[in-house]
Amino acid sequence: MIEFKDAAVTAPDSGVSILEPTTLTLTEQRISIIGANGSGKSTLARLINGLVLPITGSVTVDGLDTVKDGAKVRRKVGYLFTDPTSQLIMPTAVEDVTLSLRRIIGNKNERTEAALTALEEIGLGGKGDVSVNALSGGQRQLLALAGVLAVTPEVIVADEPTTLLDLRWRAHVGALLRTLPLQVIEVTHDLDAASRAQRTIVIDSGTVAFDGDPAEAVKFYRDLMFGRPTRAADA
Amino acid sequence: MISLLGIYRPGTTPLHRASAALKSALLLLTVVATMLVSDPVTSIGVMCACLLLLVSTAPPAKPTLRAMGIIMVVAVATVSFQLLRGDVSRAIDVAADLTAIAALALAVSCSTPMEAMLDLVSRIVRPFGRILPPETIGLMFALTLRAIPEAARIFIDARTAARARGLERDPRAVLIPGATRTVGFALQLGQALHARGISEEAKPERKPRLSREMRRKAKSQTAADAEATEGADLT
Repeated sequence: MIEFKDAAVTAPDSGVSILEPTTLTLTEQRISIIGANGSGKSTLARLINGLVLPITGSVTVDGLDTVKDGAKVRRKVGYLFTDPTSQLIMPTAVEDVTLSLRRIIGNKNERTEAALTALEEIGLGGKGDVSVNALSGGQRQLLALAGVLAVTPEVIVADEPTTLLDLRWRAHVGALLRTLPLQVIEVTHDLDAASRAQRTIVIDSGTVAFDGDPAEAVKFYRDLMFGRPTRAADA
Repeated sequence: MISLLGIYRPGTTPLHRASAALKSALLLLTVVATMLVSDPVTSIGVMCACLLLLVSTAPPAKPTLRAMGIIMVVAVATVSFQLLRGDVSRAIDVAADLTAIAALALAVSCSTPMEAMLDLVSRIVRPFGRILPPETIGLMFALTLRAIPEAARIFIDARTAARARGLERDPRAVLIPGATRTVGFALQLGQALHARGISEEAKPERKPRLSREMRRKAKSQTAADAEATEGADLT
């Protein structure tokens, strides 16, 4: 269970508020976060993995505080970036997954075997020795996901994982994320993908503007973007 | 140069089977030998051996030929300079040395996975483990290699963008966006490492240092325990 208790984030230099004090409990298996560019949705996502730390309040994952137990939290929460290029470190696919596995599998042969299995399972079988520079954008995102899944996290936070992908890869990666047997929190601009979640959070100007049913959330977001009166404004 | 990273191809050739340490030692030895020996016949012999070793690893043709082509350009320029000075023997020696070192370096790259190099670097720097953990230095090595093609790509993009704006003669139009985007990439890479929990695994597990007072107390406690045990044995 992920809990935000009055978690707020401000810009380190200017002190400008990026995320207002936010209180949330995230228990659903599929949660989507939508919002305009610069609204604070990525900051909210990064708080879960401890990539961003709250200035006030707290964020806990299964009782582990992201400030005090950052390393333990990151073992539970995998993070998928928009651009997989920045997430891939080693020159070939199998070596990159192996790097993730170094902390949990000591034996080199077993590690390589596990990495090859992870690649096979994600649909990159036979690409193990291919340079990451030679992979397509979709394949790179799959490889990044394989690196995250290899260490068996309990939660995956995906920050616009399909934004840079073409239609075919978008559908493939989206479908893959939906079928994962773990909690997936996806930040997205894809409203179709957002509406397939069990719960959708709309972020606007650093605050949770809507939290609830995905279909209603998408309608709320459309109204918010196109200047029509929203339920929150009505209230 | 970009295509040279990730040039490794799995295989069963003698060089593939040799350890990374042995190959690195061979490369180092060849470099030192070519610097010390200035006999053109010996240099040609070493060059032939290195080229044969390269061919034996069955390297990918395109990037290998491109890399060797670049070396050839440098070799031709150096030879021309030596010939202008009227030193034919030196010209042959320098050209053969350059080709030999480049061929052997490529042969090592083609036959050694990055993980094996990372392990080797970690082993070499183990004696300095008190200053920096070996895993961190190995990771730094891998990251440096990872950053080279990305930095090159960023600067190529910056040059293309400058050309598109008609600013190809202005070095600032390439250097400033190139440098800022390279720093941006470095920050993203750092975040990705953090998110994958890799840097945290590299931290050494240090025993807590005890103050002099605490050590004295622990010592007297141990002595007291020993006395108590002896007393118990006597009774």
